[in-house]
Amino acid sequence: MATIVPQRTPPTSAVFAILLSLAEESEPGSRNGRRSANGKHGYQIMKDVRMPAGGSVKMGPGTLYGSLDRMMRDGLVEETGMTDDERRRYYRLTRLGESVLASELNRLDAAVSSARSLGLLPQGGRS
Amino acid sequence: MKPLKTQDERLIRAYSRALHLYPAGFRKRNAEPMLRTFRDAVEDDDLVRRDLVALTVTDLCISLVKEHLAMLRDTFARPVLVYNAVVLAALSTGLALALYAIPQQVLRQGANDPQIQMSTDLAAILNRYGVTDGLHQGALLQSGGVVDMGQSLSPFLIVYDDQGHALGSNAQLNGQTPAPPQGVFDFVRSHGEERVTWEPIPHSHAVRIAAVVERVNGPQPGFVLAGRSMREVEARIAQVSQMARFTWFGMLGVIALGTAMFGWYTRPRAE
Repeated sequence: MATIVPQRTPPTSAVFAILLSLAEESEPGSRNGRRSANGKHGYQIMKDVRMPAGGSVKMGPGTLYGSLDRMMRDGLVEETGMTDDERRRYYRLTRLGESVLASELNRLDAAVSSARSLGLLPQGGRS
Repeated sequence: MKPLKTQDERLIRAYSRALHLYPAGFRKRNAEPMLRTFRDAVEDDDLVRRDLVALTVTDLCISLVKEHLAMLRDTFARPVLVYNAVVLAALSTGLALALYAIPQQVLRQGANDPQIQMSTDLAAILNRYGVTDGLHQGALLQSGGVVDMGQSLSPFLIVYDDQGHALGSNAQLNGQTPAPPQGVFDFVRSHGEERVTWEPIPHSHAVRIAAVVERVNGPQPGFVLAGRSMREVEARIAQVSQMARFTWFGMLGVIALGTAMFGWYTRPRAE
């Protein structure tokens, strides 16, 4: 059954970077309903988002957990329940989170294609 | 968990204390994993310590403001609270407007009282004799000495001919008998009577008169104006306005305080 993604404003750079980081953890068949059981903990997410591939977002624990709080409230991520340390929490994308990420990536892809066709970006890859 | 250097332990203790600056609900939900995440960062040898401290301080400053604003929004700006406060504020505004408008109208209308009787009486006499002849027969003399419109609170009478020129008066302003705007006479000509607030010195609020203008028909038509300074009445209206303003601000204050207290006691609690 297809997931309906409600119309929403584009995610902030922090939320987008977290969605992207957690998407790595999703299993290939996630769109059929299977999602990673392990997820990622806070510092793994912090490291991912600092990387150029993760969005180069410098994020401390306050911003990270504030964003995760709101993303859980909005149903984009969930705790896996798994822990290797009583203070460490692991998070994964929900189906809604995956859909929101996919629609944001489509939006960005369309914007990049448009920029390419206008000659604002070089053809055929990253500048 | 690997052993940490004393300096790193101090850093973690400082961060642990800084976590107390977050709102209680947020702290209760996230303090432990945040501290664990910070400890992971401190243990990461790839992360330059200076960069970590700079990042953490910046993050603290930004996220503290953000989370406190979010807490305030969740506590005091919930839609149901805002809706109730807006409805109560609208009601109190309506009430305060009524508290001003009703006495203001009563006072203003009351300011016409002697003039209505005076203009009606004089108009009745002049209707019989005509404005010119009536004045010659001393229709105005019964009303005593000359009233200074700028100073006196006594009511006065002025008689105008059909073109609006003053024929007789027991009042003067700066040595002259002023006339209201021609539009007032035109209105009275078709409607018989008009009650207006008249400023004999145009574009100046120095003298304001509660005036009743009556039409005189008959052989020599004209107009009778009975007036009285509104100085005292306007002072009372200003008092009413001030009391209504105080009442309004008081009601808004009580609504704001009540909304804030209700918001605080019904705020979302930490799970």
